[in-house]
Amino acid sequence: MLDRDAPATPRKLVEVKGLKMYFPITAGVLRRKVGDVKALDGISFDIFEGETLGLVGESGCGKSTCGRVILRLYAPTAGSIRIDGTEIAEADNQTLRPLRPSMQMVFQDPQASLNPRMTVAAIIGEPLDEHTQLSKTEKLDRIYELMDAVGLNRNFANRYPHEFSGGQRQRIGIARALALNPKFIVCDEPIAALDVSIQAQVVNLLEDLQDRLGLTYLFISHDLSMVRHIADRVAVMYLGRIAELAPRDALYDRPLHPYTQALLSAVPEPDPGIETDRKRIILTGDVPSPANPPKGCNFCTRCPRVMDVCRDIKPDLAEIEPGRFVACHLYETTAAAAGSTGASEDYERNQQGVSL
Amino acid sequence: MTDTNAAIAPPETFRAAVWAQFRKHKGAMFGLVVLTLLVVFVVIGPMLWVPEKLKVVEALKSKNLGPSLKFPMGTDQLGRDQLARMMAAGKVSLAVGFVAMMIAIFLGTFVGVLAGYFKRLDGILMRLTDMFLALPLIPLLLVMVMLFRDKIARVLGPEMGAFILIVFAIGVTSWMHAARIVRGEVLALKEREYVLASRSIGASPRRVILRHILPNVVSPVMVAATLGVAEAIITESVLSFLGLGFPPDFPTWGRLLYEGLEYMQLYPERVIFPGLAISLTVLSVNYIGDGLRDALDPRIRGR
Repeated sequence: MLDRDAPATPRKLVEVKGLKMYFPITAGVLRRKVGDVKALDGISFDIFEGETLGLVGESGCGKSTCGRVILRLYAPTAGSIRIDGTEIAEADNQTLRPLRPSMQMVFQDPQASLNPRMTVAAIIGEPLDEHTQLSKTEKLDRIYELMDAVGLNRNFANRYPHEFSGGQRQRIGIARALALNPKFIVCDEPIAALDVSIQAQVVNLLEDLQDRLGLTYLFISHDLSMVRHIADRVAVMYLGRIAELAPRDALYDRPLHPYTQALLSAVPEPDPGIETDRKRIILTGDVPSPANPPKGCNFCTRCPRVMDVCRDIKPDLAEIEPGRFVACHLYETTAAAAGSTGASEDYERNQQGVSL
Repeated sequence: MTDTNAAIAPPETFRAAVWAQFRKHKGAMFGLVVLTLLVVFVVIGPMLWVPEKLKVVEALKSKNLGPSLKFPMGTDQLGRDQLARMMAAGKVSLAVGFVAMMIAIFLGTFVGVLAGYFKRLDGILMRLTDMFLALPLIPLLLVMVMLFRDKIARVLGPEMGAFILIVFAIGVTSWMHAARIVRGEVLALKEREYVLASRSIGASPRRVILRHILPNVVSPVMVAATLGVAEAIITESVLSFLGLGFPPDFPTWGRLLYEGLEYMQLYPERVIFPGLAISLTVLSVNYIGDGLRDALDPRIRGR
């Protein structure tokens, strides 16, 4: 699992720049626009071919919106999305349709993502109906092939979703996403609704498929240990912005952004001896409303290391070390390396607890 | 790859599965039998039961008779055989009920799906629905019949003309409830993740609606439809009673009911038979709808 490195010269498959997604708030009889919910407030990142980018953050921080905007299920307010070199942020439905097969999505709730009135074969075959002109037998062959690939018994083809367990339903969802040989799959919390034992199966299946088919994942989750298992790089989101983006091991061993530090300190430790010593960083207060984010840094209301500058100026995501991006004023003034070491010292104990 | 396809048992066809489940529903089978009997009664009955033509004097003598061997359902105030009139009336009433219901359900589903799925059309279509709901229906129907009866009768003949006009009038004035129910359902359905999944594949709105939305609004539509049949039959009798429906010599169950109303205390069978026929139709249609709804739902069908 650890040696699943990207090729020597990785190609950027997905490039997101300054992506903003505002949902209007309307009020009154005339439904006048009174504000915006800033679900995504200018986020930028790249995903390299064949890698898994984990996207973590607490509920409501914009993770799912991010995944959906990248697949253009919503029209973004501003910014640019390039997939395989094609700009799709402004593209209309006719332009998007031929591009759809290369990007697919696996949904969070396997119950809700499968039409209860369609058979498994019809669900998996739906993308084939839309984008290919296969004959009936060819289509059935392809459906059986996909069912084999995700470990579903072929005899299940004519059953309905309600007859399956959660894990099996998620396999159906994955088979549907694979039907058109996509390059890029957005996994929108694919394991959040599953039992722990089933989570492992599904994640292993996703990894297995990645190895075999060379897929690229955007893996959205709030399960930090699962992201640690599957992701190559991890992006941490807070209130519609990316707080930190770094390679997995670097992020988990030595988180730089105070929010990441707090987030990682919440991961429980399996060893009871270490668990009792584990020092948690408890954040106070609530997440501010995305309709009315703080003036400066989005995290300034809860940050344990807040400075005056944080309340006035929004920090930009900056590359502090090669491959490590942090949006925090702590790391702007001092030299990158010195600053980061100093910042993480206080939390050294707790971080050792996390790294197994 | 080659042998496996053959090894798998051929899938049970959708229709066979639905029928198998439908048969398990006792009420639905009862309804189906009763409705079939009613249809046989009104379609084949008139061929088997031809009452002898009475002279005027005989007819005058035999008016308002109770049930007997010669007149199994008695006679009316003009000495006409009630059984024959029931058969003729049933043909019209059933046809009006079903066709008007289909028009209403089609319109209601169409408007409801468009309003629910396309946000831009929502305001306009729902205000239109509200407007139709606010219209006083009887005066509206009166105006429609007054304006168009003669024109349509000239083209299609008085009976067919009246039928088309009445069915259409009832249809276009009773789709609103179905539209509201369907819109509400569609609003909830279109946010479901399988609709999102379909859109992420690039399916057109038409495909999404046909493949995902419509099959899932079947249940409420089915309920609205079964209630609609009863409503249409009753509305037709109201119209006939007001002299707006079919020509006076043209029997329908509703009209027989209203004619019998005057004599109800003396000859209760004059009201009981048409009333029973309407009730049986409504009841059987309701049960059939119930059974069909269950049979179309794979979650219930599996059991």
